Order: sequence, then C-alpha cells, then structure tokens
Amino acid sequence: MWKYIGDRLLRWIPTVLVVLFVVYALVFFGAGDPIKLIFLRAPGDIAYNAERIEAMREAAGLNRSFLVQFWNYLLHLGQGDFGNSLVSGRSVGSMIAKAFPITLQMGLAAGAFLTIFGTALGVIAALNHNRWLDNVISGFAMGIWGVPVFVSGPLLMIFFVKVLGIMAVPYGWHGLFNSRVILPMLVLAITPMALIIRQARSALLQVLSEDYIRTARSKGIPNIQIVVRHMMRPVLSPVVSQLGIIMINMLNNAVLLETVFGIPGVGNLAVESITSSDYPVILALVFIGSTVVLMVNLLVDIVLPFLDPRSLSKKETV
Amino acid sequence: MKDKIDTVENAETNFQTAIQDTSSESFMKDAFLRLIANKGAVIGLILISLLFLVAFIGPYITPYDFLSQNIEMRNQGISWAHPFGTDDLGRDILSRVIYGARTAVIISLSVTVISFLIGIVVGSIGAYNVGGKIDAFIVWLIDITMSIPSLLLVIVLNTSLKPLFMRWMETQYLETKNPMFRETIWIDFVLVFGSIALIKWPKAARIIRAQILSIRNKNYVIAAIASGVSTIGILRRYIIPNSIGPVVVLFSATLGEAMVFESAFSFLGVGVRPPIPSWGNMISDGLRVWHLHPHILAAPAAVLAIMTMAFSFLGDGLNDALNPRQWK
Repeated sequence: MWKYIGDRLLRWIPTVLVVLFVVYALVFFGAGDPIKLIFLRAPGDIAYNAERIEAMREAAGLNRSFLVQFWNYLLHLGQGDFGNSLVSGRSVGSMIAKAFPITLQMGLAAGAFLTIFGTALGVIAALNHNRWLDNVISGFAMGIWGVPVFVSGPLLMIFFVKVLGIMAVPYGWHGLFNSRVILPMLVLAITPMALIIRQARSALLQVLSEDYIRTARSKGIPNIQIVVRHMMRPVLSPVVSQLGIIMINMLNNAVLLETVFGIPGVGNLAVESITSSDYPVILALVFIGSTVVLMVNLLVDIVLPFLDPRSLSKKETV
Repeated sequence: MKDKIDTVENAETNFQTAIQDTSSESFMKDAFLRLIANKGAVIGLILISLLFLVAFIGPYITPYDFLSQNIEMRNQGISWAHPFGTDDLGRDILSRVIYGARTAVIISLSVTVISFLIGIVVGSIGAYNVGGKIDAFIVWLIDITMSIPSLLLVIVLNTSLKPLFMRWMETQYLETKNPMFRETIWIDFVLVFGSIALIKWPKAARIIRAQILSIRNKNYVIAAIASGVSTIGILRRYIIPNSIGPVVVLFSATLGEAMVFESAFSFLGVGVRPPIPSWGNMISDGLRVWHLHPHILAAPAAVLAIMTMAFSFLGDGLNDALNPRQWK
C-alpha cells in the first residue's frame, strides 16, 4: 500500500512540474512585464521613469532569463512561499488561506449532501426499476447533468426569490450556518449528484441479479435489511470511485458559482486574478487545484479496497 | 493441431458474421430506428436541429437588430412586439438570443471539429505505436490534461494568448496596413475555440486510440488482413463501422460541452465580448439587474438550460442506439 502511494506521488511530481512550467511560460510571455503592469494600474499619473522601473525589476529579479526565474519560483514554492500579489502586494499564501476555507466548507457540505441524497435517489430508482418513479429520477439525473451552475443558479434564484418569495437574496458569505448558503450549496451539489444517482442506480441493478441476494430473499430476510446489509457496499464502491471526477467538477464549478453568488472563495480569487493578470495568484491556484485533485484521487484509491477488496487484487494483477 | 484448425474455423465464422454485422447500411438503419424509438432523444434531436436552423438563418428572422438600442423601451416585459422583452439598453432580447445561438453554434462546431481532427491524428499515431515511446508520451499528455481543473487552465490559456496574439496582429498591421489585422471580433472567436479545443482533444484521442486498439486485434480483422483486403478496405469495412458508435456519442457530447464552455467564458468576461451577443455574456448582464428585471436573466439562461438538456438526452439516446451490446 505505502509503495503504491509513494509511486503515485512520484509520478505526480513531473506532472505538476510540467503544468506549472506551461502556465508560467504562458503568463511570462503572454501577460507581459509585471512591473509595467503595476505602473499601468497605479492610480493617478505616475511619471514613467525608466530608471526606476529598471531598478524595481532588478530588485525583483525580473531582468533575469525565463528559466532562471522559473527555477527561483520553484525554489520559493518548495519553501511554501507563493510570492506576492501584483495587485494588492499582499502575500499570495495569506490570500489563499483566507479564501480556501470558504470554498472547502461549501465543497464539503455539497459533497456530503450529494453523496447521501444521490445514493438514496439512485437506490430508490433501482428498487422501482422501470416504474414511473425510476423514470422521473433517471430523467432528472440525465437532464441536470449537463446544465452548468451559472445557468441553474440564476434560474433557481429567480424561482425561489422572485416567484415563490421564500428566500432572502443569496449573495455573499455569511458563514456556513446561514440560510443564504442553502441555494449556492444546492446548486453546487445538484450537477455531480446526477452522476452519483446514475452510478448508484446501475450498480444496484447489477447487484439485484446476484445469487446472494436471491439467497437472502429466499431465507425470508426482510427487504430493508437486505438493502442495508447486503447491497450497500457494492453500491458505495462505484459511488466512491467517482469522487475524483466530482472533485474536478466542483472545482470548475466553484469558479462560476462564486461569481454568481458573490462568495469570496478560491473561485472568485481565480477570476479576479485572471482578469487583472495577477500571475503569482494564478500559478498558486493552478498548483493547489492539481494538488487537491491528486489528493482526492489518492484518497479514493486508499478507501476503495475497504469497500471492495477485489479492486486491490485487480490493481496488482494489471 | 486440432486446436489450430479450430481457431482457423473460428476466425472464418467470425469473418462471416462480421461481414453480415458490418454491412454498415443496415447497422445505421437499425441504430436510427432505435434512436427514433427513444422519446427523449427525438425531442433532443428536434431541439438541436432547431438550434442549428436558427443559427444559420438567424439574421433573416430576427425582428430587430441585436445592436439597435431604444432608450424609451428599456426593461420592457414580455409583449407581442418583444416576445422575450427588452434589456436595460432597450435591445430586443429575442433577437439577441437568436444571435447568441449563432455564436454558440459557430464556436461549438469549430471546437468539436478541431478537437476531433487533432484527436484522430494523435489517437491513431498512438494506436499504431503501441508500446513505443511516442505512444507513452501521448498517453501521458492525455492523462495530464485530463487531471487538472480544465476551466482554470482554459482561462489562463485564453487570457495569456490574447496579448501575444494582439501584439502579433499589431505588428502585422503596421507592416501591411491591412485593416483585417485591426478587427478584434474574430480574435475573440479564434482564441475561444482554440483554447477550448486544446483542452478537448485528449478525450477524442483517447477514445479513438482505444477503439482502434480493441478492433485491430479482433479475429475478423486478422482474417481480413490474411485474405488480402487492402488497408483502406479494412478501415472502411471493419474499423470505421465498428468504432463509429462511441465516436458519434463523444462528438455530440463535445458539441454540448463546448457550447457550455463558450458561455462560461463569456459569462466570466474572457470569451466573446459585448456587444456581440453570447448567451454567457447575456446571463452576466442579466445578473446585474436580475432582482428588478428577472426576465433579462431568465431568457438566455432558460434557453441554455434547455439546449444542454437536449444534448444530454440526445447523447444518451445515441449511446443506446449505437452501442447496443454495452447494456446486455
């Protein structure tokens, strides 16, 4: 197991280095000189003093070659230093430390919600296979899967606030236990929930035809006990294996969702930094994004054998 | 010895059934009948055909120009003159939605075609170099691009390629004095579909590579090679008809996803910029005044929601129709 984890981490390092290199090159050659950007953005008329700019570039090490700068960036990154924002001058680490918990709380709340309700709905659909309830649930799951959050969010917002009038305008961040968090969380959860519903449904349909379920039935074990004791584990393992995809989906959606609802999380930070080409922040976010995805995938691989021991032996034989 | 004869006979029967199986007209007809039987897929297909139709004949059927502003008719609700109302500059929303369909179709079609062209080339190179260094590199590249949050990467690509492109255009203009290089609208389009295609090709490449690999070693292909069928004949009779299913399904899914990506960009303000209407920037405009005039937000959002659902249902129907064995 440890060898496997170590192997995965070792393979992840070149990947993330390549991604960082590409993004660094893109902003280095695309966005232009950060010092000039600072001057262009400064309020009022600042005399365009070539000497002063040169001195600032010298001090920041920006007149060195691309590769040297990239290497320096990596050295700093290795010490946990993401550099300073070009716009606010604050350290990127502190900006992310402020925004990340908000996104994390939203993501965890949405993740718990979608896992529980998605599995339950999938199980209900499978138990009513080909009856109207199944059709409604699978139709809902299929329809909702492609709808992006910046569409479902505003539409649900209009529906709840304007049409039904039962909700305060959900804007901004007031802590996780404020009623305004309900709608954004629901919107974040609803798209990946479709995936969970479909996974749970098809997994349970497969389990239902297994011999051991028929044996349990013929022994006269009550239905609810069969579902809880015999079906839960085979249903949960495909659900858990999807969590990596769901994490990527939620990270993507956070960018859009936080813009819609004005939540000051990582997604909002990403949009702000990209529109003002604040590239230390962009690089840090790309780094953190791919780290989070890796961690989730690793966690899934570690948890999965407990739910389904066969998956480990499969991996070893392949 | 007997085993060998058996496998030869096996290959022969496989070859025979393959000929019957892949007389591709009947397979397509079969698939089409299965597709027609699926209500959701038919509705999706009708809606998508309508979208393409509206996109192509858009300028001839819009009641108003998408740019013409009418200050006296600001924020009008739904009426006969303006079926979807007007926005905060007095522009007719129906006309803007129709022009938005044009933007969506142009971008999603080009993205899908470009990413499939790249995918076909890269995927087949990978498949014919299995076990080699080029294939390993291709697989690694596919894995990388599929494991990072794609929206963030596409935005970075888009925003950093833009200044580069603009600088190049400016120098071209100074050299040639050709006014084409001062146009900025089509740069938005080129950058948006270029950067989405760069993210979307790995999926196409992966599926094409996998399809070629799985079919290439089937007995009937080996038998066909043994009986001297030319490479093009093998491609046409065996590889293409047998791999077309997943590719068509992915094509339709990519169309839908590219449409969403385009709107997402324009929504965030890095894609197609106003005044060119895109559903994304219309939603972003509507979000500023949604509490007072919800119809400005609701119209483009509802249209986009319906279109994404249409793509999902069509994709599901295509999947059932073209890959019948998958579920049995």
